[in-house]
Amino acid sequence: MNSKQSILHSALLGVSLTLAATTVYAGGSGTAGDFTRGAKAWSDNCARCHNMREPKEFRDDQWRVTVAHMRVRGGLTGQEARDILTFLQSSN
Amino acid sequence: MHISHVLRRARVRGDRRAIRVVSTLSVHPVALAVAATLAVGLPSVAGAADDLATVKSDVEQLKRDVAQANEWRTVNSNVHLTGYAAVSYSAPEAGDSSFGGTTFNPIFHYLYKDLLLLEAELEIELEDDGATATALEYLTLDLFVNDYLTVIAGKFLSPIGQFRQNLHPAWINKLPSAPLGFGHEGAAPLSDVGLQLRGGVPLGPAKVNYAVYTGNGPKLELNGVGTEIEAVMSEGFGADNNENKVVGARIGVLPVPNLEIGASAATGSTLDDTGATGKRDYDVIGADAALQIAGLDLRAEYVRSEIGAGPVAAVDPGEKQWKTWYGQAAYRIPGTPLEAVARFGKFTPPGANPTEQWAVGVNYVFAANVIAKLAYEANDTEGVEDDDRALAQIAYGF
Repeated sequence: MNSKQSILHSALLGVSLTLAATTVYAGGSGTAGDFTRGAKAWSDNCARCHNMREPKEFRDDQWRVTVAHMRVRGGLTGQEARDILTFLQSSN
Repeated sequence: MHISHVLRRARVRGDRRAIRVVSTLSVHPVALAVAATLAVGLPSVAGAADDLATVKSDVEQLKRDVAQANEWRTVNSNVHLTGYAAVSYSAPEAGDSSFGGTTFNPIFHYLYKDLLLLEAELEIELEDDGATATALEYLTLDLFVNDYLTVIAGKFLSPIGQFRQNLHPAWINKLPSAPLGFGHEGAAPLSDVGLQLRGGVPLGPAKVNYAVYTGNGPKLELNGVGTEIEAVMSEGFGADNNENKVVGARIGVLPVPNLEIGASAATGSTLDDTGATGKRDYDVIGADAALQIAGLDLRAEYVRSEIGAGPVAAVDPGEKQWKTWYGQAAYRIPGTPLEAVARFGKFTPPGANPTEQWAVGVNYVFAANVIAKLAYEANDTEGVEDDDRALAQIAYGF
């Protein structure tokens, strides 16, 4: 491994450790989902990648798992995920 | 029965109380009317009792149904089967047209409380010879550490750029084909096996999403006669053949919700399975952008993968570079289920002429997750006969 790679390797590891430490420290227990915030987050985030799926497409329990998947895939915060879930479960 | 007859029978029995009551009724029309009403009403009272029992039973059943319907709220694990499927048709200018691209990608989701998500996608594909190929597209255990961090372990889609990790499913991809260089043996990494940290962090009105990972990394593939490095294979290997993990990251910035600008990089080492290439440096950089505005969906991505020189390599010791980029615009025509799409891409493999591709298409959006696509692809490589083709596909995300 050359010096340029070594520096980049170290930098990426440093960034990842810093991110992990920062975010773990930040905690983020958050609050319960909010319908209004959820409607906005749904509108803001889902169409960034795909056509908007109708709330009526899934049952409440299915949305629970689907939103967890989208939280990972779409880089959503936990709060955004809870808000969107509340909106979807209240609108289906 | 006539009242006089009742009175006579009471006298025969010597029932003085009955004689008194019946005599009273016979001389008081109002009392008689009340008695008649009571007599008529008795069967109704009995029916009402039956109705009440039925209602009680229904309510109990309803309570049981409601409790059952809400069980998912209290159980620890939820399961959901999702995924997508597609059937395609290809008509090349040179060669035979055929139905193909028949793929079925079930995705299994198991969520334990709000703590751990298991995600697994299989890719089941019908091959040209009629056999069925099955591959594990990804399998990860996602641990939700807090609102801003998820730790992922397993085989994951490469976080380099956007197409591979977010846009490649057939019901999401606006065209029937992937952009040049974003498939197998291309420039963009496909998958890796290792550990990943990812999440999103709000920054005032803006937002940042990130992914940082380390994994086994890719392998080099030689050509058929073993004299040349043909491709960097990045399908996500279950073992590291060069004792050097790849480390990579992507950061995406959203200054406003409908605009995302991303930058990616990865570095490590790679080697072929025979060891003939010697261990090579491996570097990837990428940039991507996406904007949704006024019915338009605009995207662009650039990825460059390169391997370093191998001074003591027995095979193909020089540096090599694979570059690709594409720009895409899609427009949903207001008030109709129609969507127009255009994409230009250019893929430059090492030691060969680049290929340029224009693809234009029109989609019929039956539903958000049911899309029929019709497209024409013009592929132009200098010195090679054009490989233009018409494509059709129907895709369903379930």
